[in-house]
Amino acid sequence: MTAVEAPAEAPPVVRREPRRWQGPAAFAAVALLALVVAPLLLEPFRLGLLAKYLCYAIVALGIGLAWGQGGMLTLGQGVFFGLGGYAMGMYLKLHDAGGDLPDFMVWSGVEKLPALWTPFGNPVFALAMAVVVPVVVALLLGALVFRQRVRGAYFAILTQALAAALVILLVGQQGLTGGTNGLTNFFDFFGQDLAADETQRGLYLTVAVVLGVLYLGARQLVRSRFGRLLLAVRDGEDRVRFLGYNPATVKTLTFAVSAGMAGIAGALFVPVVGIISPALLGVVPSLELVVGVAVGGRFALAGALLGAVVMGYARTYFSEELPAAWLYLQGALFVLVMTLAPRGIAGLAAGLVRRRREAGT
Amino acid sequence: MSEAPAETTSPETALLEIRGLQVAFGGFRAIDGVDLTVGRGELRFLIGPNGAGKTTLIDVITGLTRPTAGSVRFEGRDLAGRREHEIVRLGVGRTFQTSVVFEELTVLENLDLAASFRRPLWSLLRRGRGVSEEVAAALETIGLTPLAHSRAGVLSHGQRQWLEIGMLIVQRPRLLLLDEPVAGMASDERERTGELLTEIARDHTVIVVEHDMDFLRRYASQVTVLHEGKVLMEGSVDEVRADPHVQEIYLGRAREGAEDAVR
Repeated sequence: MTAVEAPAEAPPVVRREPRRWQGPAAFAAVALLALVVAPLLLEPFRLGLLAKYLCYAIVALGIGLAWGQGGMLTLGQGVFFGLGGYAMGMYLKLHDAGGDLPDFMVWSGVEKLPALWTPFGNPVFALAMAVVVPVVVALLLGALVFRQRVRGAYFAILTQALAAALVILLVGQQGLTGGTNGLTNFFDFFGQDLAADETQRGLYLTVAVVLGVLYLGARQLVRSRFGRLLLAVRDGEDRVRFLGYNPATVKTLTFAVSAGMAGIAGALFVPVVGIISPALLGVVPSLELVVGVAVGGRFALAGALLGAVVMGYARTYFSEELPAAWLYLQGALFVLVMTLAPRGIAGLAAGLVRRRREAGT
Repeated sequence: MSEAPAETTSPETALLEIRGLQVAFGGFRAIDGVDLTVGRGELRFLIGPNGAGKTTLIDVITGLTRPTAGSVRFEGRDLAGRREHEIVRLGVGRTFQTSVVFEELTVLENLDLAASFRRPLWSLLRRGRGVSEEVAAALETIGLTPLAHSRAGVLSHGQRQWLEIGMLIVQRPRLLLLDEPVAGMASDERERTGELLTEIARDHTVIVVEHDMDFLRRYASQVTVLHEGKVLMEGSVDEVRADPHVQEIYLGRAREGAEDAVR
């Protein structure tokens, strides 16, 4: 079928930017699929899973920006995801408790609501903090680290250590954070029953819309002068200094944007999945996100998104069917992609399209 | 010249003043007490055999290498301790021996990025599609207008060097430092680069590091000779070429082609 179609298409008139309508058309098709078709076809359980993967896709978008565009391999995106998630979880816990202490605090023997928790009773504050805290942490970390020209593997290890440290911190502060169990048992979400299919469908749509908006924003960023500057920093940080720019600033800002995205994802994840706990934000989940981005294609934002969703499905499928093999499979996949197709699925697809076009003209 | 104290020289006569500069790498003194004054509007060639300290000198001026002692003043301001991008913002630009253009970006995008560093960072978030006059003029000067939309990765070595020079021009620096601009170039490319250099020197202050004697003979006027980290002599091309010390170090270092070098 493709062989018949290809010659029928007119040869591209503009060589450099072939077919301006293609991008928006593809975006519209995916949006239609996500906003209309998926909610109609998928049963609530499957829709919930998809919502969860789309949350991961938001984190992946940030990783695509930081790593794919900016060359900052961040192995600790779970930290920002977790900070956003806990901010939302704290609000939901206080809301459900209705003026009393949240249940886990009672079990831990806490008698008075900790001062840290008090302002999170306000949903606006909690939502703002879900973004502000990750952004501020990333700004501080970036300002410290990038100014000292820490990069490459050292930066990656540092972010991973941060993820490990946050887990230890959360587990250790049982009374404040719910420890290993994290925050869970949420019932009410802004007046809606969280267990109801309607609420979950609404949440799914929210996640999808947020993802779409963030994707468009990130795309705009990548195509701006700032985006080119970011690429330049990735490919020749030392040279960029001699263009009169401070690469540390460019990297710090981008890292903060990616952290903000992860924070938003975490805040959405909590009502969708119903829990936030150290196991969801430590080293392993952070790495899994990066593997997803690599598989999807880190140099294309859409590839990063796709990778997160594909890996989410793969994980669910394989951990049901072959739980023991999943970790090895994932590792093997990562190695294979990095050695054979460093541009991931997106790179393979782009190559295919290019070849078809060349054959067609 | 070396007895003139830095304080008394007004920035109007001297753009760049280097006094008592020393750079040591471990025990090795790459630069050992260099004094150098470059006036506004000058085209100065910096020559010397390998290891004379030419590139190290450029590295010190542009903040890549910290001096062990001495001062570097640009328009009366001390450059020591400033970071690379800050020095660029003061008006000092440079190219590198091996050109590093951004291969993923087009020729135009490379130039545009170089021209935009004075804009506030947030304004870089706009798409910025148009080509500014300045960038268009630079494209014309370096002769890459037909390749404006090609990725810089496909350029030849010579074209890359020209792109680098173009990126330097659009930064509007008051002092340009070119590190071996014709190294590795074919003869027609050298000629083109020489013309480019002459054109740029008309309204810029330029320091060129070069050890190609033929290129020097054709395009240089004022020359500073470095040898083993010290200034061996300073003068016109003819004076330098006639100097027995200069002949000796060039003859002594590279026997092949040496006759040609000092002829």
